[in-house]
Amino acid sequence: MSNYMRAGVFYGLFVLLAGGVMLQNEATAEEGKSDAAPAQDKAGAASVECYESIKDSTNLTKVENANPKFGYPNVKCSPTTGAVLWYGDPYTDTVPMGEMPKFGDETDGDFAQAVIRSRTKHFKTTMQCSGCHPGTAQAAAPPNEPRQLQMHQDIISDASKLQHGRGAIWCLDCHNAANRDTLVDRRKNEVSFDESYKLCGSCHGDTYSKWRIGLHGKRTGEWKVGGKKRWWTCTECHNPHTIQEHRFNPVKPEPPPALPRGMSSSETSSKHE
Amino acid sequence: MTMKQQIASASQKPIAFARDFFSYAIKGGNLYYGWLLFLSFFVIAGLFTTYVQMTTGLIVTGATDQITWELFISNFIFTAHIAAAAVLVVIPAYIYKRKDMKELAVLGEIIALTFVIIGLNFIFYHMGRIDRAWHAIPGLGIFNFPSSMLTYDIIVLNTYLAINLVAVSYLLYMRYLGQPMNTKFYTPLIYVAVAWGPLIHIVTAFILSSNAAIYSWKTAVLPFAFLSMAGASGSSLVILMFLLIRKFSKLQIADSVIDFFSQVIVWSLGLIILVFISEFFTELYSGTHHAASLEFMIDGHHGLDAYVPWFKMTMTLIVLPFILLLNTTIRKSYNSLLPVICSVVFLTILIEKPAVLVFPAFSPTPLGEYAVYHPTLIEICNVLFIWAVGFIMLTLLTKGAIGVLTGEVRDSKTVEAGGGAK
Amino acid sequence: MSEDKREMVDEQDDGQVKESRRDFLKKMGVAAAATAAAPAATAKAVSIAEALQGHFELMSDEQKQKAIARLEERYSEQFSKQTTVANTPAPDGVLFGYALNISKCIGCRRCVEACVRENNQSRDPAIQWIRVLRMEKGNVTFDAKDLNAGKPSSSSLGDHGIQSGGHAGKPVGISGYTDHYYEPEQVPEDNAFYFPVQCQQCEKPACVKACPVRATYRDPNGIVVIDYNWCIGCRMCQLACPYWARRFNWGEPVLPSEEMNPKTHYLGNRPRPRGVMEKCTFCLQRVRDGRYPACVEACPVGARKFGNLLDPESEVRKVLATKQVFRFKEEFNTDPKFFYYMD
Repeated sequence: MSNYMRAGVFYGLFVLLAGGVMLQNEATAEEGKSDAAPAQDKAGAASVECYESIKDSTNLTKVENANPKFGYPNVKCSPTTGAVLWYGDPYTDTVPMGEMPKFGDETDGDFAQAVIRSRTKHFKTTMQCSGCHPGTAQAAAPPNEPRQLQMHQDIISDASKLQHGRGAIWCLDCHNAANRDTLVDRRKNEVSFDESYKLCGSCHGDTYSKWRIGLHGKRTGEWKVGGKKRWWTCTECHNPHTIQEHRFNPVKPEPPPALPRGMSSSETSSKHE
Repeated sequence: MTMKQQIASASQKPIAFARDFFSYAIKGGNLYYGWLLFLSFFVIAGLFTTYVQMTTGLIVTGATDQITWELFISNFIFTAHIAAAAVLVVIPAYIYKRKDMKELAVLGEIIALTFVIIGLNFIFYHMGRIDRAWHAIPGLGIFNFPSSMLTYDIIVLNTYLAINLVAVSYLLYMRYLGQPMNTKFYTPLIYVAVAWGPLIHIVTAFILSSNAAIYSWKTAVLPFAFLSMAGASGSSLVILMFLLIRKFSKLQIADSVIDFFSQVIVWSLGLIILVFISEFFTELYSGTHHAASLEFMIDGHHGLDAYVPWFKMTMTLIVLPFILLLNTTIRKSYNSLLPVICSVVFLTILIEKPAVLVFPAFSPTPLGEYAVYHPTLIEICNVLFIWAVGFIMLTLLTKGAIGVLTGEVRDSKTVEAGGGAK
Repeated sequence: MSEDKREMVDEQDDGQVKESRRDFLKKMGVAAAATAAAPAATAKAVSIAEALQGHFELMSDEQKQKAIARLEERYSEQFSKQTTVANTPAPDGVLFGYALNISKCIGCRRCVEACVRENNQSRDPAIQWIRVLRMEKGNVTFDAKDLNAGKPSSSSLGDHGIQSGGHAGKPVGISGYTDHYYEPEQVPEDNAFYFPVQCQQCEKPACVKACPVRATYRDPNGIVVIDYNWCIGCRMCQLACPYWARRFNWGEPVLPSEEMNPKTHYLGNRPRPRGVMEKCTFCLQRVRDGRYPACVEACPVGARKFGNLLDPESEVRKVLATKQVFRFKEEFNTDPKFFYYMD
């Protein structure tokens, strides 16, 4: 019987080794994959700038340990795209929404606890528009014709071909010529940069109504009707200067899911002829 | 006699029976030991790979969220084939009162018993949390009856296991003692077992066809396909076993018995072909989304065609044996072609389970993904482990049973006293 | 995640160097001697009391508290940070519903990533509860010269007869090709639209029906939840689901401490053990506290709406009342509470 046992041990060892080699291969393959992947949210990294909807426009600073009870940051950002993915504090960097007009019909939303992210707050800490545009020179500058701008090409590459309103409007239909730190609606009422919806709503009444009742646009915070919500304003999702090209600014997508084990990308990505 | 002595004397006989039974079962020639040794190689390797799976998880298998059933559960379906088909040995003996098979019925029950145990092992290897198996025990855990199809399977498999365990040990023990059986107890048990065999398989088919999202299983022909495959693969195993038994033991098995089973194979293969034709026609003529898995097997999907050769091979090896076995001369070639064909049928239906029934059914997934299953070495070793343990069990039980049936294993006192030792 | 980082995380666990799964596999690969190595990668051993605990819904309040205390202790130790496992009850008079605007979705997958960060999914192997499908927009591939192609023509098998279509063998227009693994530079792409799929929280869930031990069940708010300590890992629910919404922990889940969300709920995002099923719970730990699910908050285009289906003023009800709404795979008759709509 001892011969048999010896053979059994030999055979067993062979299988152990074979299985081991296979596992080893799998492990190294996995390692290669994970090395290529960028590091996840780095804990303790000094100050990370992330963006919400529009890159370089709706930026937000990540604050570590914003919620000390759970050791949360205020937001978590994508290591690959820099986009804000997750809110530890949905009201981070917000202020109460200003007075909203009452229409007295079914389009009256519940704004009692509404908050928004203030744009003007950030204008004050950086550079105000009125620093360069005091609002005097342009006050009487006919004709009201679109022209190439010498600056702000990052916002609008060719102001004579404004991608909004199909040629019917130009810069000063929305930007207040008298006070560049504000906007104006169609009736030339001054509108704060924080309240873009009042300006946008003066033309896009239908969308504005839907936004007021929560049908259009984005809200974060509490799901309850009447709960504390952050209302995302029009310009936080749409770029009014390029809206004719695309409804939303194109963004880099987050990485694709892992393929099923054993499958290669060439096998799954075959297109329909 | 005191209570203790009573218990001691009452347990004396069964212990002696077990001792005599197994000491006979482990005796054999070089070929016999070679066979057991061959199987034990897989047991040794499987012990290690089992340890790896139990400590690392099912990630060591090829299963993914796309193809969530692995080789284990595919093999389980096959074991259910054989376990169900085992009643084909019992039915002629007890329902049709065939004299040539009366003695052999217990071998059928041993096959059923063994394959239910192998099947249960496969289910355990399939489970993510074996440590929580008690959650599914009625009374102890929660039993989602009658909603969950799996609870029916738990009931029918364990009942079938119990019936066969009792029937086999009772019959062999009575033969060992040389006492007549209590037919009032034994006959109803056998009739229940006969009904229960197909039942376990119908339930297994229902487990598959209860999944509305997997189109190629959601078909009413599935129980028919399973039962006809059971008839073919189970009878093949029975023929192979009986041919070996009559070659290597003193147990007499008439040609008429073998002929009966080769006829069953022909009928079953014919039924399988009909079931496949019905299924293929229904799916392919209208060519709806329900046919996607089948088209994937037949044609592949944009170059992903790993299942195509398996499909073609399986279909060929179901049709070819059918045609061959229509020939009486081939059916009677007990020592040449018949065992080869039986082996082919057995292996084809075994391979059909993962390669045609289970894995391709998961493509496309409910969200339209196509994927191919990649079995791992550890998974294969574990499958071989379970099979090896099962075949060792089958071998020992069959060998011991032959000893009892031929009278080589019997109670010595019974022989001397010519009756019970009361 | 890099290898050194993993090691760093592992060393944090009470100063004891623990083995990651990968290290473990490596050792296994070297020799059979590794059979002596510790089996579980990062997981702390489960106490006997936890292993023997019953179904969560059937526990007494005292038993629930004990079970939660056990988990909090185990997780806090394992992830080296204070972890809470809540048992916030389901709010009264609420049926949660979800609506997704497929004409808005830009396919950026932020919902997928937000979900992973909120719900403590395993990072390796990576588990994601939301799958975004990229669908090609329609385009006609039919050629004018093929217009007469459908006329009766004979072949070796005989006459094909009169066909009503122009081109029976070739699809006209798009045939619904979907891509799960799209990776363009920028989204949205001009020739595509996107269709995110996650658990549809069916009112007649096929998965709940299939579970042999009732480990998955519908909660009073209509969310289908899983008791991760009761699941036996049989995966019948995964087969039953027509939405491919369920994910299985094939291996020991790897969740780095610094990425772990310590605010958890027993039925929601608490870290899962190996060998159990998991899926979207509408962020049960958040919505029972009144907050929007993480995917709603992450969506940069406001395509995701969530609320109480019993409140006519809620956003979802307003979507149902005013938009063209459909449910995915209605033919399965599972009555999802997840609605897709278009502008």
